[in-house]
Amino acid sequence: MRPGGRRYRTVIAVLAALLLTSVLIAIAAGSVQISPGTTVRLVAWKLGLAERPDVPVSTEVILFQLRLPRVVLAVVVGLALAIAGTLFQGLFRNPLADPAIVGVSSGAALGAIAVIIAGGGSLLGGLGVSLAAFVGGMVTAFFVYRIARVGPAVNVATLLLAGIAVAAVISAVMSVVMSFAGEEIRSIYFWLLGGLSARGWTAVEVVGPLILLGTAGAVLLIRDLNLVSLGEERAAQLGVDVDRFKWQAVALGALLAGAAVSVSGVIGFVGLMTPHVMRLIVGSDHRRLLPAVLLAGPTFLVLADLVSRVAIAPQELPLGAVTALVGGPFFLFLLRRERERGSARA
Amino acid sequence: MPEPILSLQDITCGYGASTVLHGVSLQVAGGEVVGLVGPNGSGKTTLVRVASRALRPAGGTVRVGGLDTYALPAREAARLVAVVPQDLAPAFSFSVLEMVLMGRTPYLSSFGRGGDEDWARTRAAMVATGVQHLADRSVDELSGGERRRVVLAQALAQDAPLMLLDEPTTHLDVRHVLDVLAIVRRLAEREGAAVLAIHHDLNVAAATCDRLVALHRGEVVATGSPEEVVTADLLRGIYGVEADVTTDVSTGRPSVRLAVPSEPVAPLGRRAHVVGGAGRGARIIRMLAEAGYDVSVGVLHASDTDANAAERLNLLRVSVPPFSHVDAEAEDAVRPLMREADLLVVCDAPFGPGNVANLRLALEAAEAGVTTLLLEQVPIGERDFTGGEATALWSQLRRRARSVGTYEEVALEFR
Repeated sequence: MRPGGRRYRTVIAVLAALLLTSVLIAIAAGSVQISPGTTVRLVAWKLGLAERPDVPVSTEVILFQLRLPRVVLAVVVGLALAIAGTLFQGLFRNPLADPAIVGVSSGAALGAIAVIIAGGGSLLGGLGVSLAAFVGGMVTAFFVYRIARVGPAVNVATLLLAGIAVAAVISAVMSVVMSFAGEEIRSIYFWLLGGLSARGWTAVEVVGPLILLGTAGAVLLIRDLNLVSLGEERAAQLGVDVDRFKWQAVALGALLAGAAVSVSGVIGFVGLMTPHVMRLIVGSDHRRLLPAVLLAGPTFLVLADLVSRVAIAPQELPLGAVTALVGGPFFLFLLRRERERGSARA
Repeated sequence: MPEPILSLQDITCGYGASTVLHGVSLQVAGGEVVGLVGPNGSGKTTLVRVASRALRPAGGTVRVGGLDTYALPAREAARLVAVVPQDLAPAFSFSVLEMVLMGRTPYLSSFGRGGDEDWARTRAAMVATGVQHLADRSVDELSGGERRRVVLAQALAQDAPLMLLDEPTTHLDVRHVLDVLAIVRRLAEREGAAVLAIHHDLNVAAATCDRLVALHRGEVVATGSPEEVVTADLLRGIYGVEADVTTDVSTGRPSVRLAVPSEPVAPLGRRAHVVGGAGRGARIIRMLAEAGYDVSVGVLHASDTDANAAERLNLLRVSVPPFSHVDAEAEDAVRPLMREADLLVVCDAPFGPGNVANLRLALEAAEAGVTTLLLEQVPIGERDFTGGEATALWSQLRRRARSVGTYEEVALEFR
């Protein structure tokens, strides 16, 4: 739509190449190395496009049962968190909003922890925890939204504050609940810091469709996101049904974040940083921003998961700790540089 | 009157417990530019928000093109009403082209890139507001004036029969004020749009609107042509200011000049009488009043600038109808004012057969011993329209009075 889109197309091409490269590297790295060539040929064989390459069965098993589901899960979770972050930043017109903002993350964590402590950790083949997390996240988001709603209108400032307050209460409740924990504390702890280990294809099959649905919904909101960034009243004057938009954005953001958190635990910084950094590169127009975020979110999480897996192998670092350790300082650097640029321009 | 495009009936509206509008009714017809004036807090912005579908009134009806906009979906309402807010501060930056294209939102589907019509309207709006050369620039790089024009272009692109503007000219320099008002005027004249604009500047409102509506404390206190609405009485009533309202010579519209409020002065207990005319006395009158003199003036022609100045200060004054001669009655009225004054100031006004009597009366007073000042910035020869009579009287006066050439000298004489 915008003339002079060549630079933008280049950015998208580079982001796509980065995603593909990260996926291949993440698959390759580990105690057994699988070369990108082997990966490509094995996948092609699985899809019925080529002969089976001459590799040991163990390689095939590691690829299809361990590495690939984990990397694909990292892709969809990264996608969900980054898109949710974009929606919330657009809704709140605040570049520091993230998916945790309406209480989704803390609600999900509480749901998961409650089930783990109640001894339901292995319920439904481990999916019980995910289900509880998802329900916890959605219920919290809905509750926060209801608090902020007066008649048909929702005040986004109230929504923001209600989210923060509810999250604080939930954290306190979690601390209380955790004091009853015995040996489960380690799995709770790991869950709170996030991770994608040993989820297999089931997790992908369960949350993948939800996340794709949520992403498709977000794409439909692109125009309204742009208009609302001019202010709610202005958006309404230009023909946006603002109340409906807010409801849709919160519902989609909660769905995406809830789905992600339910399988990966709490992973910070992806939803905050990805939209923010992409905005610096491609600008604020959501028509250009969303595709970039769609590629960058998965790349970020695939790389972070790779680091968590190989940094102190065979031990694993909590994924949430990696994203915060890598993302935090980088984010501060960006903020600092932006400020300096801002003052240079002024 | 044809069916109005905007019709507000008995609008009552408020925020929380406080009621801001008390039964306001207002109509704007197609092709008409109506100005909304009134002091801060009079309810202007609230009324425009009600008309723009942003604030549902507690009572009364809002109709645009005969339809209740509050009952319509946002999208359809945006095809009827375009709003130009005071300013926009987008949280994220867009290019000028993107901003203006957003005005086409009510006509586009979720994914529509805009048809020929949309692009044509967008381009026309950018040309009309003179921002087409900025198309690819980012909005946050623009000056305040440029950004205001982009917002105006956005509203024009909406192609709605009703345009609402909230102080479209504040913070703009003179040139941009004129540009914006010309654009709005063209919109009404060529497209037949109804325009309702909040104006802070009464002169701008009077000069550019067909009709004015004055709000005060949430009620309409005056409505009509600028001449009917912008009057000294109205300004005193709703703004609590004293102002000169004259007719602007170039537009024929009322023009407001505010009197700078002066510190109340302790009365001197002395009275000065001023003989002026054609504005030559206005400044002296004010100086005397500010020095604490009790001032009387005359004889003046009614509606003369000096007469207006005296009226504004609520001074004792003797006047005769415009173009008439000072008659015996006026002479009798003014004679004691001159005779008993502590100070008589004769200004360098033009003197003709109509008012030359003033000089004769002043001479009598001066000869009777009244302290007299003659202001002589303009030589008597240039303002004698009596064929010599005024010049003769003036030179006789000069022998009895002190001549001063500047206002500073006059001021010294007051002490």
